[in-house]
Amino acid sequence: MAKKLGKKARKFARKGLQTVQKQKRKQRTFFKKKSAPRGRGLNGEAPDENEENLNHERNVSQLDQNVGGGHVFDKNIGNLLGEEDEVELEDDFSDSDGYLSEDTECPYISENENENISRDDTARGTFQEENTEIKMQIAKQKKELDKLLAKDKEFAKFLESRRSQLEQYDRMVSDDEEVEGDEEEEEEEEQEEQTRQPVTQTTLDVWCWLVTEDPNSPALRNLLNLYHNASLFGVITSRNEKSAQIVSHEVYSTVINFVLCEADGIFRALLGVAENSNAERILMKLKSSKEWLNVGPLVKSYFKSSIKLLNQVTDTMLLVFLLFRLMSSVVFLHAFSSLGRRLIKILVRFWSTGEDQLSTSAFLLMKEVASQLSSDYFNICMKAMYRTFVARCKFVDDSNLARIDFMKSSFLEITSLDVQQSYLVAVSSLQRLGDVVKHSSTTKKKEDLMKINNWQYINCLNLWVKFICLNYKENNLQQLFDKAVRVIFGVTSLFTGPRFLPLKLKCAQMLNDLSLTSGHFIPVSSLVFECLDLTGVVTGKMDGDEEPRLKLSTLLKVPGNLLKSRRFQEECVRSSVEVLCTHFSQWSFHVSLPELSTIPLILLKRCHEKATVESVRRLIKRFIDQAEQNRDFLQMKRDGVSFSPNDQTSIDNFLLLEKSNVKSSFTQFYASMLQNSQIRNMVK
Amino acid sequence: MGKRRKVILPPELPPETPDEEFEISDEDVEFFSENRSFTNFLASFDKKKIDKHVTRVADKSEDEIERLYERRNRNNAPLDSRENDLQVDPVDALPIKTLDGKLQYRTTKNVRSEEGNVSTDLTGEEDGEKQGTNLIRLTKAERNKKLKKEKKEAKKLKEDEDIAPNSPKEKLRSEVLKEVEEEISAEESFGAKKIKLAEIGMALLEGPEANIRSLKELLDFCKDRDPQVVKLGLMSMLAVFKDIIPSYRIRELTDKELAMPVSEAVRKTRYYEYTLLRSYKSYLQKLIELQKEAIFKLVAVRCMCTLLEAAPHFNLSEKLLAGTVRNISSSDDVIRKLCCEAIKSLFKNEGKHGGEGTVHAVRLIAQLVKKHNCQLHPDSLEVFLSLRFDEDLGKHENKAEEKNKFTKNKKGKQEPMKHLPPSEKKKSKQELIAKTRGEVYADYKAVSFAPDSEKRQRMQSDTLSAVFETYFRILKHAVDASDPRFMSETSGFHAQPLLAPCLEGLGKFSHLIDLDFMADLMSCLKQLSGFSSGTHLQSKTFNVKNSDSNRSYNGLTVSERLQCCIVAFKIMKSNLDALNVDLQDFFMQLYNLLLEYRPYRDRGEVLAEALKTMLWDGRQHDMQRAAAFIKRLATFSLSFGSSEAMTALATLKQLLQKNTKCRSLLENDAGGGSISGLVVKYQPEATDPYLSGALASVLWELSLLSKHYNPSVSQMASNILSMTNLKPTQNIVNPSLIALNPIQAFWESTVQKELLKPMNAKVPPSLKRKRKREQDTEYNVLDPQKLRNIDSEVIGEEEVKLRFEEHFKVLRDISENERFKGELNRTLASISLYDEFKREKLEKERSVALKSGKKKAKVLVKHSSSS
Repeated sequence: MAKKLGKKARKFARKGLQTVQKQKRKQRTFFKKKSAPRGRGLNGEAPDENEENLNHERNVSQLDQNVGGGHVFDKNIGNLLGEEDEVELEDDFSDSDGYLSEDTECPYISENENENISRDDTARGTFQEENTEIKMQIAKQKKELDKLLAKDKEFAKFLESRRSQLEQYDRMVSDDEEVEGDEEEEEEEEQEEQTRQPVTQTTLDVWCWLVTEDPNSPALRNLLNLYHNASLFGVITSRNEKSAQIVSHEVYSTVINFVLCEADGIFRALLGVAENSNAERILMKLKSSKEWLNVGPLVKSYFKSSIKLLNQVTDTMLLVFLLFRLMSSVVFLHAFSSLGRRLIKILVRFWSTGEDQLSTSAFLLMKEVASQLSSDYFNICMKAMYRTFVARCKFVDDSNLARIDFMKSSFLEITSLDVQQSYLVAVSSLQRLGDVVKHSSTTKKKEDLMKINNWQYINCLNLWVKFICLNYKENNLQQLFDKAVRVIFGVTSLFTGPRFLPLKLKCAQMLNDLSLTSGHFIPVSSLVFECLDLTGVVTGKMDGDEEPRLKLSTLLKVPGNLLKSRRFQEECVRSSVEVLCTHFSQWSFHVSLPELSTIPLILLKRCHEKATVESVRRLIKRFIDQAEQNRDFLQMKRDGVSFSPNDQTSIDNFLLLEKSNVKSSFTQFYASMLQNSQIRNMVK
Repeated sequence: MGKRRKVILPPELPPETPDEEFEISDEDVEFFSENRSFTNFLASFDKKKIDKHVTRVADKSEDEIERLYERRNRNNAPLDSRENDLQVDPVDALPIKTLDGKLQYRTTKNVRSEEGNVSTDLTGEEDGEKQGTNLIRLTKAERNKKLKKEKKEAKKLKEDEDIAPNSPKEKLRSEVLKEVEEEISAEESFGAKKIKLAEIGMALLEGPEANIRSLKELLDFCKDRDPQVVKLGLMSMLAVFKDIIPSYRIRELTDKELAMPVSEAVRKTRYYEYTLLRSYKSYLQKLIELQKEAIFKLVAVRCMCTLLEAAPHFNLSEKLLAGTVRNISSSDDVIRKLCCEAIKSLFKNEGKHGGEGTVHAVRLIAQLVKKHNCQLHPDSLEVFLSLRFDEDLGKHENKAEEKNKFTKNKKGKQEPMKHLPPSEKKKSKQELIAKTRGEVYADYKAVSFAPDSEKRQRMQSDTLSAVFETYFRILKHAVDASDPRFMSETSGFHAQPLLAPCLEGLGKFSHLIDLDFMADLMSCLKQLSGFSSGTHLQSKTFNVKNSDSNRSYNGLTVSERLQCCIVAFKIMKSNLDALNVDLQDFFMQLYNLLLEYRPYRDRGEVLAEALKTMLWDGRQHDMQRAAAFIKRLATFSLSFGSSEAMTALATLKQLLQKNTKCRSLLENDAGGGSISGLVVKYQPEATDPYLSGALASVLWELSLLSKHYNPSVSQMASNILSMTNLKPTQNIVNPSLIALNPIQAFWESTVQKELLKPMNAKVPPSLKRKRKREQDTEYNVLDPQKLRNIDSEVIGEEEVKLRFEEHFKVLRDISENERFKGELNRTLASISLYDEFKREKLEKERSVALKSGKKKAKVLVKHSSSS
């Protein structure tokens, strides 16, 4: 009796599940335009495609919001991109159940070998132990329940009336464990009742063999279905009694491995596309052809399952492997925009959070997607990456400096694929950054200033400065350049005092970069004067070698207690000398360098007199010597010429020769200084 | 069931839920009989406990219970009323005035209707008050009606009161009652007082002559215990006084005058004026007194400031002024602003008080500065900038005198006369005077409100001397503080808060400074601007020694030092035009200060102003100096932001235009040129412009500046460069840029202005190019080698297989685990449901039992469980 009732309860639970789901599905149709007709196999595909294309525009804009967790953003920086937050619509991913109709001819070889239910070696002891423990508990509790049932006949009835309550418990468990973004799995759950035969290793081998022999073989469908099953493995078994086709680990790994390795080749063979031809163009042709009608669903199933697998697998190396396998068949994604968006979403996640290898390979795949497919994909990729970058660069410390660097440079890689499109994003972003500065400079409120004095803002600004630097030479980015310079000067104008020196130094560096790429003169020296004024006021102990090294690269605002410490001064002077170095070296052969260096040198000399810390003194002295050498050299050369300052061409040609081959000590000094600074700024 | 509930009503329940509210409808009964399970909770009551409560209460007599309830209720009441009070206050700060002139206080009525009892004595007092006012006042029908209504109300309340003492009087009870009543009466009286205030105020405004005595009543309000009432009283009196204060000063009557018999009208007026003055006096006293208390400070200061603005001519304005000036440097921003504004308006509207107020205020401020040793808020000195000195004073007088032979000796300043047409009014007045006799004239003058020009002049000179006394005091103080000898003592004591407004004021009134002071003043400024009589080396060492870079060795900021230079120039310009004293020292200061300037720390506009007054406005400069400045400015613009660069370039351009010979700087003359100065080679680090040898240099900077990122700067630079080709007589290069003076140039290109420049969102045409789709192996930023390595790091098939197998096992175990957990939970839940099941069952049975009314439920439960 006890057993009976337990079953009953379970039955209730399942029934309940279904009703709940029915309700859910009903509600869902309000949000989704597309219903999910069951068992749509081959025939349903074509019209679906059209619809997809129709909805494409809308989808692209949606994805901007969806990808990368837009809701994480701060309100102020969140609008850096410029889009308003739309309602996050559900990803219409589950337009078909993912199964392909199978050919019944395919052989199922069922040998009841020991492989079926062999609970061989434990995977991870923790769950095994826990499972047995729970099992024991279940038995105990059931016994008790039986007792109760026996005691009171009416209780069974009562239980029935409370079944919904019981279901909650069931749900609760599964909700905990549900993986993010798997809303569609309920649908899979109650799909066709036809229980599939478990596939044995031998069957699989035969299928594989069949497929390798003849790509057209019906076994391919079976294989892909099995692959699909494998991708759903962890999810579907949780609530479904009928266990999937896969019962053994060998089958699991073989099918995944085989499909991943061979699918691309098989699809290409089926379509008659050469391995290294310009796949996209051929694909466009094939899109309307008969082959594609057949192959399309297969490819779709392949991608869908692979994406699920990407969501399931946690092992980094496996993910890297998966991504690499997918890379070769990226072209095919063109036909399935929703899948593509889904994939990008996952890729962005890997890119921003994964380990080194994973993020790199995610980036590579993303680059493939962005470059191989249409410009919509490019847009999606770029914006998703930008949003994610913005969301993830709020803090900078030693641990994530490298990551932010990587994100910056990989984003730049992507943007440089299509400067025209990214230009628009750059314009709107810079506009926003400028608006923030404009607003703050009028209000001067503390909270407004905080919007600028944070890493998010500086990183974004830096990102676009880098973008300008990267693409300035080949493109006409004068407008962006002007805006960026104005914004940076705006930022520096808002913060005074030695506490904000790191921020100013960063601005100065950016300006130097911009100046270097554009060839425009940007006066940077005044930004470091304040820093030089500071020297000489050391309060900390002089022999404090145990002081931790101060990294200005991870600071924006100096904590007050460090302001007069020796280390900070050292760093400050070093950084400002570096800034001046870059500045001078850019114009080191310009006719007016002596004048350019006049004021900084006067101040540096004063600073040198004031400085009490020996290392600082030495540093400044060396720089002064070299800069003076440079100045004298130029003055000497200049005395020999006869042109006037208004003779621009002669000035441009002045010392052109020397510029390229003079190995004077000052050029070497500048070079070594810059090199050192790069090394210092790298993470150790 | 409902009945049962009534019975076991625990004593803690608030007594304001009367029994009548528990109406049991048929539907209710039906509902409960149908859904017995809803009444489950009743079964779970601990009967013993309830019984205990009931019996305990029952022990005592009915009266006692009642009393207990009452007491508790009363204890709660004060709290309520207090809350009410708080809620009401802000709304009622101002009454609503209806169209027919009635003032309404919404909440007081509410309170009245809510609270039934008001203490007897208070009502009586109020009544008395009302009657008192009634007697004095000329009652209008409207007011009578209102009063009647109030009386009636009061009567009613009294009746209520009469009922109250009937209840048995116990000591405790009466005490509590008193307390409650006090609370309530406070609330009540507050409302009443507000109404009263408004009434009196209205009456006063309607007929000040008739109701002048009510001022005393109003004054009484200001002595109230409730600070709220006091504040309201003060404000009402302010409003009244503002309105009824006459536009003349009330003179004290002499004994002779008092002795003279006068008509009824005169007597009335005298009485009115006397009362007004007396109340005003006591009001002011009250204000000054309250000003010292923290809660009333703001209100009092506000009242004083408003009064000062409204009636600076009236009696006792000296007291007002003293009170206002005392707070002019208050640390409270609001109070300080109020006072400053009041003083400023006093200065601006001299017509209101004939200038006496100005003199007085300036003197008071001067005293304040002296007293506080120049350590005041800058705002307090900024008010001087609103002063206006009429240079033409005495001009019309002179004219009139010549015409009318009323010769008066003038000791006005020897300033050039300007032609301002005398006002019509004054003219006609003068004509009138001409026709009357001298005695009449004197009489007229005695009573005339506008002081004659002699007096005005005297007052003006008094004001001026007080102002300059203050200014000089501050300068002196700054000089003393900056004296190197004091440095050791006052190290860190750099603050000269008043220096900036002082310098500004000196600049503004520079034309009024007496020649006698000039020499001293200039030496002061020289010292302050950083000039030291010793060698420059000395000053430099001082600079070096001083650790604080923001301030130079004399403790002044760069902006302040620049201001000193500006002031010196202004003074010299407006006073010593003819003498043409060379201000070499100040030029040298400016020359060096250019190096000290830091953007955003120092005020750029001051620098621009300095450049404008000292270089741009000036006439022909010495060639050496001009060249030195040209060179320095060019170098300066290479190191600083675009707004500073624009300022410098604008000045530079002007200099080049005026000093045609300096244009040789634009050309690279290999031989050094014929006009090289004493120093053959350019010394960029020289501190003296004369010794820099700038004439030997070439303005190479401009070539780099023409590459400036800011288009306006680069345009300006190329513009200047193009001056090379001009003949010395030619001047205009580009009319659009020539108009720009340094200050305009500065504001034209500030960062804020730059940011406003719009950005074109259109893609520039040269950007339209094909995407580089095919070159996906190319990397711009990332290290391609590293990326390629990733390829090789991908694990082999075997490894993949193994890992997938592992993954599979984990997944399987997890799903199993999940399933088990679900099952376990279900089972556990089922078991826990059993309890509920049991309870339900029990209730069902009990409800059945209740209906039948045979046995107690308890027994039944026992019974069923046992069976």
